[in-house]
Amino acid sequence: MIGNDIVDFKRAALQSNWQRRGFLEKLFSENEQSLILNSEFPERRLWLLWAMKEATYKAHQRRFKSPRSFNPKQFNCEIIAGDTTSVFGKIQIRDFSYYTHTFIGEDYLHCTASQFQQKKTVQKILSHSSEIKQELIQAVSELKKLPQAKIRFEKDCNFIPFLMCDNGKINCDFSISHHGIFSAFVLSLT
Amino acid sequence: MTDKELLEKLKNIVTPYVQDKEGLENFDEDTDFLNDLKINSANLVDVILDVEDEFDIEIDNDSMNDMLSVLDAKNIIQFKLAGK
Repeated sequence: MIGNDIVDFKRAALQSNWQRRGFLEKLFSENEQSLILNSEFPERRLWLLWAMKEATYKAHQRRFKSPRSFNPKQFNCEIIAGDTTSVFGKIQIRDFSYYTHTFIGEDYLHCTASQFQQKKTVQKILSHSSEIKQELIQAVSELKKLPQAKIRFEKDCNFIPFLMCDNGKINCDFSISHHGIFSAFVLSLT
Repeated sequence: MTDKELLEKLKNIVTPYVQDKEGLENFDEDTDFLNDLKINSANLVDVILDVEDEFDIEIDNDSMNDMLSVLDAKNIIQFKLAGK
């Protein structure tokens, strides 16, 4: 299963005071905290690690159809490779490993997580738009050869979204994220 | 502290992080932080830190795990207060 997370840097700076006492300690391991504090751009590094945890949480929750929880510290992040615009990571939660790829832009970052290192996906990122769900429906319609007008969103008992066509559940693996002016979806092609 | 007082304090704590202000109008035990109030997940940690300060308690990681609704928060706060 896959998960994604988008962070709008301007919105994040308004919404969160990451320097408040206890903030880093509640969310990040000591190792992760030092990755943040020793970074040239601590705030960006913080949101990178946060998005890695969030995207992985979504992939993990979908995989095991588990109830919601808020346990960011259980997701241990490691940065494997990357530069200022593209970062590959590995996340460990108990005995399970996930891989992330994050694109870091000027105004936002977008992270995708999967249990597989090579995962074929299609993704779309929009700004100033409320059309992300419609864009996903269009992509699923093309992928599954189903009529767009018949595809609709529903949520299961764990608040995980899925797609229906008429009365049948569409078997597809996707994730949607919104933050600030940005929204994004990622859809698995396999 | 009565349930009513506790809920009032909790409402004041979450208000700055609420993105769907309509959800505040029917604020009660059934209110969900994410679905009803649309609190950003990164702000859940602020709610937890503010609860710790307001009630002078420590919310450990296990408790934090389950604090996703007003009822969850109330139960955790009362449990922690009883143990003080």
